[in-house]
Amino acid sequence: MNARRSGKDHHIFHLGPREKDLLFQTIKLYPLVPASHYQLSKSKNAAQSDENQRLLDESLAEQRQQNRKQVLELLNDPQRLRETKSGFELKLAPTQMEWLLQVLNDVRVGSWLSLGEPEPGKEPELTEQNARFLLAMELCGAFESMLLAALGIRESPGWMNG
Amino acid sequence: MTDAATTEVLPDVGREEETKDKSSLEPAWLVICWNDPVNLMTYVTHVFQTVFGWNKQKAEHHMLQVHRQGKSVLARTTMEKAEHYVHQLQKYTLHATMEAES
Repeated sequence: MNARRSGKDHHIFHLGPREKDLLFQTIKLYPLVPASHYQLSKSKNAAQSDENQRLLDESLAEQRQQNRKQVLELLNDPQRLRETKSGFELKLAPTQMEWLLQVLNDVRVGSWLSLGEPEPGKEPELTEQNARFLLAMELCGAFESMLLAALGIRESPGWMNG
Repeated sequence: MTDAATTEVLPDVGREEETKDKSSLEPAWLVICWNDPVNLMTYVTHVFQTVFGWNKQKAEHHMLQVHRQGKSVLARTTMEKAEHYVHQLQKYTLHATMEAES
């Protein structure tokens, strides 16, 4: 998957047939992070009422529903992907880039949780049940990087110092 | 983003309010982003820019704080706005919370 061209209103990406299948298989896993993962606060302050937590839960549930709808539209609408000689062209508006990033990162974080939250550079303990999550986590990272690169955001060498 | 330990230093809570003007009575809330090593540094930078409208330099500064120190205070604001920011950050699956300022 790479950015073909970017305009003010959209970005166009090229995907090979295998990449398209992998992207679709990956986003089908959405949502993967358990709803209980999100907490409004770490402290037990009196001002933090159950009502506030309930509102957060509702807001995130609504967001997930909208993102899920967008995922299904992308998966089921052949017009969203234009077939080319070498694969497919995916056209994304800025808002669609945002929901796709949210979806991919949910699957990435959810996969990481399913793998037991391994530290960077450490191999997770793989089993027959969780091996697919390692693939999903890595794929999401790769797709996210490509979307972010199209937005002009790349890792800087200075980030690794200090 | 890093393997640095995420020491949870929470603000003191339950402090007595003093009888002053309205602004001093209104408690300040800190919006904190905690490190999850799975998140890409580029992704966190993008989310900070999107949610707070920051320029790249400021977003990178806070992203690196999260990466190197385990957390970064992103905003000090009212309870209502802190809730809004936490909601937005969590929509992007970032580990964000709001804590009362000590």
